[in-house]
Amino acid sequence: MQPTMDAFDINALEPYKYLFFTGKGGVGKTSVSCAAAVMFADAGERVLIVSTDPASNMQDVFETEISEEGTRIEGCPNLTVMDVDPLKEAAAYRENVVGPYRGILPDDAIANIEEQLSGSCTIEIAAFDRFAWALTDADVAAKYDRIVFDTAPTGHTLRTLELPSAWTNYLDENSTGTSCLGQLSGLGDKRETYAKAVATLADVTQTGMVLVARPQTPTLEEAARSRAELSDLGIVCQMLVVNGMLEQATDEASGEMLDAQEKALEHMPEGLAGLRMYRNPLKSYNVTGLDFLRRFLKGGADRSMAATEVERPDLRSLDDLVDELARSGRRVIFTMGKGGVGKTSVAVDIAKGLARRGEKVRLTTTDPADHLGNFDLDMPGLSVSHIDEKHELEAYEAEVLDTARKTMGNEDFSYIQESLRSPCTQEIAVFRAFADIVAKADEEVVVIDTAPTGHTLLLLESTQNYDEQMENTGGEVPESVRELLPRLHDPAQTEVVIVTLPEATPVYEAQRLRDDLNRTGIDSRWWVVNQCLSLGDATDPMLRARAASERQWIDRIRTMSKGLIVGIPWNASGDVR
Amino acid sequence: MKKLEFFEPAMCCDTGLCGPSIDPELLRVSTIVEEVSRSGNDVVRHNLKSDPDAFVANGTVAGILKETGVDSLPITLVDGKVVATGSYPSNERLSELLGIESSTAPEPAAKRSSCCCSPKASDGGSCCC
Repeated sequence: MQPTMDAFDINALEPYKYLFFTGKGGVGKTSVSCAAAVMFADAGERVLIVSTDPASNMQDVFETEISEEGTRIEGCPNLTVMDVDPLKEAAAYRENVVGPYRGILPDDAIANIEEQLSGSCTIEIAAFDRFAWALTDADVAAKYDRIVFDTAPTGHTLRTLELPSAWTNYLDENSTGTSCLGQLSGLGDKRETYAKAVATLADVTQTGMVLVARPQTPTLEEAARSRAELSDLGIVCQMLVVNGMLEQATDEASGEMLDAQEKALEHMPEGLAGLRMYRNPLKSYNVTGLDFLRRFLKGGADRSMAATEVERPDLRSLDDLVDELARSGRRVIFTMGKGGVGKTSVAVDIAKGLARRGEKVRLTTTDPADHLGNFDLDMPGLSVSHIDEKHELEAYEAEVLDTARKTMGNEDFSYIQESLRSPCTQEIAVFRAFADIVAKADEEVVVIDTAPTGHTLLLLESTQNYDEQMENTGGEVPESVRELLPRLHDPAQTEVVIVTLPEATPVYEAQRLRDDLNRTGIDSRWWVVNQCLSLGDATDPMLRARAASERQWIDRIRTMSKGLIVGIPWNASGDVR
Repeated sequence: MKKLEFFEPAMCCDTGLCGPSIDPELLRVSTIVEEVSRSGNDVVRHNLKSDPDAFVANGTVAGILKETGVDSLPITLVDGKVVATGSYPSNERLSELLGIESSTAPEPAAKRSSCCCSPKASDGGSCCC
């Protein structure tokens, strides 16, 4: 049964001076938060909105230049918009650390420091620095009635930040100074600010935490995960906004979409139970400019802007890509992209296409096993391996703790356990598993529905260099991992296919993944744009409007990929997995 | 009382957990740090990421670094004299140098930081992963 959902009502946000919107990339956090901010400002409140979403692009949303320091919006005089790019902040921070040492320390030492400050947590913490400022600064509190954020800190960031306060005594009493404490001891005034920021986040009388999802299973699951993580830290999420609800069907495609939407809502994750739930209908327009922002949360499908003409983009087919792969003789093929863009289904289609062309293929997926049931994988030449992320992580954790116990005696392992919960550790655990599978590429073509990030690869590289120099081949780094890097760096052997959707956030995210990988000297060539409505025959005005808006993203990818761009038509099963 | 100093490469964490495999060497060093400080000697770890100043301020270390680059790390000093470069000295060697007994079962130590991502001074955050 579908849960009860009311039409979105701005009054639900009324009690909270601080508002955070959290959810998977591409669900519409920026649109929802900006629209809410505009509504409050129109009602006479002094409102500040702070964007720390690297894909937010506030300039487009407000159709005006936005500065990091804050810009007053013409036509909405009570609203100030601040657009913070956490990537830039992280880069500034990095430069702040290494800058003074350029020319003093050798270049390779500088590069070594920079790489260690290039991970995703650096970015998260750079963003948190801005949250903390807006949450604790007395001037901000006095100048604005309401402060809205289009993102929220993650559980991992908060855990990392919360821990220092527990160590105050240790810092005072000890002088051993391990490398990490070296950083913490320099924390000084920040410690108090961060502690106060975390306390405000947990204060339900001041802070509203709003989960945003689409009526699609992956985004609802992500919302449930965020809620559980935040709740572990004493931070309460009050409500869920399901954005982009299709309200009626007028043709086959919209009928399928409506069915898929209902299915996703019927199977709402249990972790979302008890939340107040609101729906916001799918709109026919891109949410840019004050006029649309003012209408966005006011209910109704608002078909006024439905596009009439949709030009069918000229894109290559997946068969073209498979032909090219078969011709090239590349034996390791990754499909890379953020969660929910359809990496697995693209990997499945590539694997089946290669098997059909007579190759011996091993498809390897990190998708939970029960989802693979949706695919017909029974064909000659195709075998399937499955990497269970949870299992790999548990095995890795057990191995780490076992080694720690042997080496360190009965010390307190809590700090090791926190490290194990970091995103990079999880990635590494999975990475080790697929190194084993890539090692099979001598006999088979290997297709994998996930790719390592640049950060993981550089970590591997530095460890490997260290190992070689130590002539320590005693098995610390498994043989399969050792062989992996040269293979990945060889464009004659490896192909990385980027998978994305024809929408703003997924395209920005895919671009970041690609840049990150390029950093390590691995090139990607092909892009696959999944779920293109503009390749279908929808006549429904809402879907046609959405199809028309795909154009700019497809053009952008065409330029980036130098034309190596595959389009896959929208299909309902892609929305429910 | 002697002074033991480690000058280590920029790492995610002092456990090496964020690398592709657990580095028992780094776990061993963590244990050494506890033991040596309990024995009444002075022990300091300098990480290139969080404490680059130390690498510049110490003339000996700066010299080695200039000559052979980061491959010379970790560098171990006892009372300012280099006792190892490129790897950590063994427990036996250290016991000998510091004149202490190496125990096999250290007592529970105080809490330590989560290595992976820690906020830092100045205006950003530092993190490894």
